[in-house]
Amino acid sequence: MDKSLNVMVIYILSHLGLIFFMYPGNIIDSTEQGHWLPILIGVIVHFVFITIYMKGLELFPKKDVISIYSSIGKGTAVFFLIPVLLYFIMIILITVRAYAEIITIVFLSNTPLWAIILLILFISTYIAANGIEPIFRTGFLLAILFLPLIVMIFFTSFQNVDWHYFVPFDTDFKFMSSPSYYESFFAFSGGFLFLGFIQPYFSYKRKKVLIAAAILIPIFLFSVYIPILTFGQATAATTFLPYVVVVDTININWLMFDRVTMFFLLSLISFIMLYLALVIWKTVRIINHYIPSIHSSYCMILLSLAIFITCHFISDWKEVEKLFLWNTLLRFYVLFAIPLSIYYFGRRAKRKENNANT
Amino acid sequence: MQTPKSNKRVLLVLCMISIICTLTGCWDNRDINHRVLPLAIGISKQANEYKVILKIQVHDNETTKLKIVTQTGETISKAVDTISTNMESSVDLLHVKVIVIDKETAEDGVKDIISGFMRSREVSPKALIAICDEDIEYFFTNIKKTMTSDGTSLVENFDKGAGWDPQIALTRIWEVYRSVHSYTHDVAIPIIISGKSTSIEHIGSAIIKNGKMVERIDNDETLLFNAFKGESTHGQIEVMTNASVLIIGNSMNIKSKMNGKQPLMEGKVNLKVVILETRGDPSRKFIKKELNAHLSKRFSHMFEKTQKSEADILALGQYFRTHIPRSELKSWRTEYYPNLKMNIQFQIDIQNEGYLKTL
Amino acid sequence: MDSFIQEIRGLFGKNEDFFLLQDYVSDAPVVLLGFKTLLDLTKTKSVLYKNIESMLSAGKSSEEILFNIGEVKEKDIKMATSTLLEGKLIILIENSKKYIVFEPVPKSLNRSVQSPENENVLQGALNSFTEDIDTNIGIMRKQLITTDLFVQSFTTGKNQKRKISLLYLESQADKDLVRKIVNRIETNLDMDINNMQGLTTLMGFSSWEAISKFHTTELPFQAVHLLNKERVVLFVDQLPFAFILPNFFWDLFAMENDRNFPKPIMIAIRAVRVIGILITLISPGLYVALVAVNPEVLQIELALSIARSREGVPYPALVEIILMLLILELILEASVRLPKSIGPTITMVGGIILGQAAVEAKLVSNLLIIILAATTIANSTVVSFQNSVSIRVFKYVVVLLSAIFGILGLVAGLVLVCAYFASLNTFGFSYLYVNLKKDEMNG
Repeated sequence: MDKSLNVMVIYILSHLGLIFFMYPGNIIDSTEQGHWLPILIGVIVHFVFITIYMKGLELFPKKDVISIYSSIGKGTAVFFLIPVLLYFIMIILITVRAYAEIITIVFLSNTPLWAIILLILFISTYIAANGIEPIFRTGFLLAILFLPLIVMIFFTSFQNVDWHYFVPFDTDFKFMSSPSYYESFFAFSGGFLFLGFIQPYFSYKRKKVLIAAAILIPIFLFSVYIPILTFGQATAATTFLPYVVVVDTININWLMFDRVTMFFLLSLISFIMLYLALVIWKTVRIINHYIPSIHSSYCMILLSLAIFITCHFISDWKEVEKLFLWNTLLRFYVLFAIPLSIYYFGRRAKRKENNANT
Repeated sequence: MQTPKSNKRVLLVLCMISIICTLTGCWDNRDINHRVLPLAIGISKQANEYKVILKIQVHDNETTKLKIVTQTGETISKAVDTISTNMESSVDLLHVKVIVIDKETAEDGVKDIISGFMRSREVSPKALIAICDEDIEYFFTNIKKTMTSDGTSLVENFDKGAGWDPQIALTRIWEVYRSVHSYTHDVAIPIIISGKSTSIEHIGSAIIKNGKMVERIDNDETLLFNAFKGESTHGQIEVMTNASVLIIGNSMNIKSKMNGKQPLMEGKVNLKVVILETRGDPSRKFIKKELNAHLSKRFSHMFEKTQKSEADILALGQYFRTHIPRSELKSWRTEYYPNLKMNIQFQIDIQNEGYLKTL
Repeated sequence: MDSFIQEIRGLFGKNEDFFLLQDYVSDAPVVLLGFKTLLDLTKTKSVLYKNIESMLSAGKSSEEILFNIGEVKEKDIKMATSTLLEGKLIILIENSKKYIVFEPVPKSLNRSVQSPENENVLQGALNSFTEDIDTNIGIMRKQLITTDLFVQSFTTGKNQKRKISLLYLESQADKDLVRKIVNRIETNLDMDINNMQGLTTLMGFSSWEAISKFHTTELPFQAVHLLNKERVVLFVDQLPFAFILPNFFWDLFAMENDRNFPKPIMIAIRAVRVIGILITLISPGLYVALVAVNPEVLQIELALSIARSREGVPYPALVEIILMLLILELILEASVRLPKSIGPTITMVGGIILGQAAVEAKLVSNLLIIILAATTIANSTVVSFQNSVSIRVFKYVVVLLSAIFGILGLVAGLVLVCAYFASLNTFGFSYLYVNLKKDEMNG
């Protein structure tokens, strides 16, 4: 059955959660003016690689990444899957830790960090343990519940915008040398891999996923530009989570709530929980491929426990950033190597098939 | 992929346990009635110490009383903390709506205070800032006398849905914070004193440059400032020698040019007005002319003031973002702005004259 | 007397309502067996004689008559006892290996078809299911005049026999679903089923799900509508409602009777139900979160008035709300228990007096009373009582999480509930399944 809509929803939700927090800050830090260029490059890279990835996957109908690699050879599988596995584990660790920190900064200053980490991990593990189809369905429900809210607040965040800050357009490639620019790829590389894991359960059309990615373009753009338009580059660069601060400045008189930020952030956090569930599920798929004897539910619980414990060794934000930076290498490996290799193997398999036929 | 039921149950039990674990670790979540929620906070810097004045409500059975609490400390949060320890409930600055800073402190610079508020996030970045042109303690004790019991009137003075008037500058913490870091954007902060019959009186606005008060403008000039910023000026009565009018709409059109190193600006402000009162029988044309002259004079007066103090409260530098490279823009205030030549024209449109005809 | 009669007498002889009568069919001596409480003996006998007479006048022999008045069966003690318990009359031919099952005039032990007791309908068909399974199937047949309707019946139970009927539309119902259900019933035929939990175990569902796998309804109208929507209906004898499989999320909001209104009104009504569920789930949690953890979210005026109304309340918001919710549940439960004439009194005492007094005694804040009232009202908008009870349970999860994590807990609770909904699955149908083709509204 064609489940393109489900895939689209999950694709958009998981990226939304990733975009609005760290991404604007990273981009704003990476260059002083003409932020559209780094965003554009990021988006193009994103588009190119998901297209390659999906094209590659189409050459292996009804097969997921794990079975594709293992069908090619044990060595190849290890070579590609182990970095992905590592990357996933790192992502879970960083995301949980970073978002827990953000939550304490933004609205739960009294609550201990471990409790928030526990809550996030617990919920995502629960969702993940239900299996992939419930993950997607949960995504659908969450989208119905929270997307209208997000869209509404997204539009109201234009409230204090000064369009003069949009100009000038001229820019340079200096951002290429800034590490924070490479960190910004977190928003691009984090979410797209799931397209290769859901194949036997969900089938989708490439075009629809590309539409979903296209819907995200204005969000990438404005998540960076709204802080700049509101504060100006110089001020925005001094803030930790620029977009969050912007949402905090929104003044809506007619609402019974004062700080709409909270609803915005929490909706995004719910998407993050979903995203984490997806990553946990993928991680456990890989682990199960190598150690089939453990039941996947137990595996998930063990994984979450391990993450929970490891989170305690990360004492402050500086270390989160350090991990973030270390993760860059893996991030680009995943972003480039996986789509390209899948495509390459796909072509090769196709050629072989053709040769065999003639 | 459906996990077998027994495993789900194990998962569920684990979840329950973890929830109960978190429950036992209940941390200090204080209920709303155990928190003191001050609406206004007054800050004055004295020598090396901050004096913090909080205006809080005390509930006593059915009635609510206002209470003014004063404390000094090396930092604002220290002072608030001391108040918190001394009071029966803890003080939360979450709902502070107005921050009153005394004039001397403002002249000295409020950068640290503003940055502190932005960083801690406890005070909403939407909170308004006002400058008090008298002793801050005197101000608070005075307004306490004239204020209604729920104590929101100080806030409502600035509330667009309630008591706000276009002569009052409306500046929030984040805007001040922006002005501290921005190259081209300064702000005006309302100046208030305690009043005799009304609780507060507005006596103009302070021009803040890089977090320091450098100059002041009066109420009428603030009106122009608001009109320029595009804030709704609706409901404003403009008094001239021969008539008073009500501005019901304004729009603006600005062109910017660079002549070598000299910025040039051409502005056209369209005002839609309604005539309220006339003295004698002035013609429409006369009223237009009069109003135009009046406004131009007032505007140029204000503009000169800001140029002299090198504070760009109208954010005119924004219009030159395409003309001046970013590295140069940093010195906008000192090098370009004082040389800015502004040519402003008021286009006045009399909309209707009510029940009476004017010639 | 032969051993067969001895055996039956051994089984039932101690029962006062069991009878064993000597009689004659034309010339042949027979014994009539049955229960006085299940069949009307006098009427049955007269019907029997009339039958015999008409056959005699047709010139049939006694042998022929015997074999024509009822179903002839071989003597089998097991079969005979269950036939007796079903309320049939057994005619035993002496000195023969056979007996005859005669369809008697039953004692009327069933109430007539009445209007529904638990589900109200506005401007709709007022018939409701009764305890008698045949009546129920009859009502269904009457509403669905089509050759498409199939009824499959099973007798389950080892010690206690009970009839289960499965109804489906051949052209609509999912073949796979029907096959799976029939399979389940047939493998578990010797289970005793007295209630929904029994049916749940028979179907092989986990008995720990908070949301029932069956959508239950008293309304034939609704059941027929759902049959048309690919579902399958199960009846259990002596349970006056239909069990509809599978149960879907959308059933919380949609009732077939809504379609007796113009479409915009129907959409509005359903929207109200959706809002109802959201309010039930969110508002108590929101209260706790705002009062205890995140007061900065409230507008200042609201914050001050809540603070004022909570002044003097001696315990934290969580305890406050749990206490009041508990009282509310008690009121609900009590009003179910009580006879209808006293019910309103409880509502009075519980709702108005207790609430008012609790506020005045400063035990709870008056905002809480409003929240609780809103919650209870909103909760009742959900279609089918079963569902509204489930939603009531989820509310507590949200409240608990909110008390710990504030608004974050509220959102987390909602995510959890969503995930739970998403994880439910009945015979391969997800709980969130929405049939977009036929249902014009989507979820």
